[in-house]
Amino acid sequence: MQFLRVVFAVAQKDLRSELRARELLPALAQFVVLALVIANFAFDLDLVSGPRLSPGILWLVLVFAGLVAFGRAFAAEKESGSLEAMLLTPAGPAAIFAGKALASAALLVACEAVLLPAMAVFLGSPISATVVVTVLVATAGMASLGSLFAALAAQTRARDLLLPVLALPIWVPFVVVGGKAVQVAMSGQSLAALPLSSQPLIVMADFDILFLVVASLAARFVLDD
Amino acid sequence: MTPAIRAEGLMQRFGALVALGPLDLELAPGERLAVLGSNGAGKTTLLRLLATAARPAAGRLDLLGLDSGRQRDRLRARLGYAGHQVGLYPALTALENLEFFARLHGLGRVDAASALELVGLASLAGRSVGQLSRGQQQRLSLGRAVLHRPELLVLDEPDASLDGEGRNLLGRLFGGRTVVMATHDSTLARQVCTRALLLRAGRAAGDPWSLRVVDA
Repeated sequence: MQFLRVVFAVAQKDLRSELRARELLPALAQFVVLALVIANFAFDLDLVSGPRLSPGILWLVLVFAGLVAFGRAFAAEKESGSLEAMLLTPAGPAAIFAGKALASAALLVACEAVLLPAMAVFLGSPISATVVVTVLVATAGMASLGSLFAALAAQTRARDLLLPVLALPIWVPFVVVGGKAVQVAMSGQSLAALPLSSQPLIVMADFDILFLVVASLAARFVLDD
Repeated sequence: MTPAIRAEGLMQRFGALVALGPLDLELAPGERLAVLGSNGAGKTTLLRLLATAARPAAGRLDLLGLDSGRQRDRLRARLGYAGHQVGLYPALTALENLEFFARLHGLGRVDAASALELVGLASLAGRSVGQLSRGQQQRLSLGRAVLHRPELLVLDEPDASLDGEGRNLLGRLFGGRTVVMATHDSTLARQVCTRALLLRAGRAAGDPWSLRVVDA
C-alpha cells in the first residue's frame, strides 16, 4: 500500500511541477507539430502518399518525443539534488522509479493527444480507436525502459548522447509491431483478421510486461548506487 | 549503550584517489560532532557515507546499531540529511515540498506543517520555492531533514546561507539528537556542538583518537 502511495505521490509531484513550470509540454507539442510540418515538405506529401507514410512518421515523431520526455525526468532532479533527497527517504527506489515513469508516460500521452489530431489535419491520416490503443500500449513499454535508461544516463556526463543509444534499439519492437498495427488500422482493415500468434496488441502487451518487470527489478541498482 | 555512530577503518576512494580514511569514529547518542577542515579535506565524503548516500570503499560503518550497508532502508527512516544542494522543487510551494517528502516517509500534512513552523517558514507556506531566498530555501531543506523526527541528523554546511537568526535555529533543531555537522565556522561549532573532528586530506588530524572535545 505504501508502495502505491509513493508511486502516486511522485507522479503527482512531477505532473504538478510540470503544469506550473510549463517547461516540457509546450516544447513537446511544438516539436510534434514542427516535425509533422517538416515531414509534410520533406516527403512532398499529398492525399495519397500522406496516409500511406503516416505510420512511419507517427513512430518517428513518437520515439523522438519520448527521448525528450524521458530524458528530462531524471536529469533535472539529478542536477538539483532532489533525486538524492528522495532516495534518502525510506520510500524505496522501485516506487520512486515507478512514479517517475508514470509521470513521464502521462506527459507522452499528452504529447500523443496533440500528435494524433495533428496527423489527421496535416497528413489526412485516418485516426481510429485501434490506432489510439496501439499507441497507448506502446507508451507503457516505452515509458518503463525509457525511464530506466534515463535514470542510468542521468548518472553520466554524456546523458544526452547515452539515452538515445540505449533506448532506441530496445524500442525497436514497438516501432516494428506498432508500425504494423497502425498500418493495418489506417488502411481500414481490422486487426482481428491477423492470426492470433501475430496479433500486434498482444505482442506489444507481452513486451510491456517484460519491460515493466525488468525495469522494476533493475531500478534499485540503477538509482541507489 | 550502543553508539549512534561506530566506524572502523572507514575509507572512500574515487578511482585511485583516496578521498577519506582510513578513519575510526565513535559517537554516543545525543552527542553533536562538528566536522572541520579545508576544502577537499573529505568532509562531504564523510557526511555522505554517514547519510547512506554513498557506500564506503572499505571499512565498517554502523549507524544507530544498524549496518549502514545492509540495513539502509531501515536506517533511512531514522536519519535526516541536508546536503550542499537544497534539493527542492522550485515550482511547488514551501508546504507542498514538505508535504511531498512527508508522504515519502509515510507521514501526513500535519507533520509537514509542523516542520515548516519549526524552521520559521509558516508565513511563507504558500510561496513557491523558486521565489524564496537562498537562506529561506536552506531553512526549508533543514525542515525536510527533521520532518520525520530522525534520531541522527547529518548536515553539510547548514550555516552556509543562514543569517544570525537562522543559525540560532540550528540549536533548536538539534534538540537531543545525535548530530554530525560539517562547517567552516569554528565559532558556530563551539556554540552548537559538543565534539569536533578536524579532517586533513581525508584523515583525522590532531589527537590519536580522531576526536577531541572542542573546549578541551
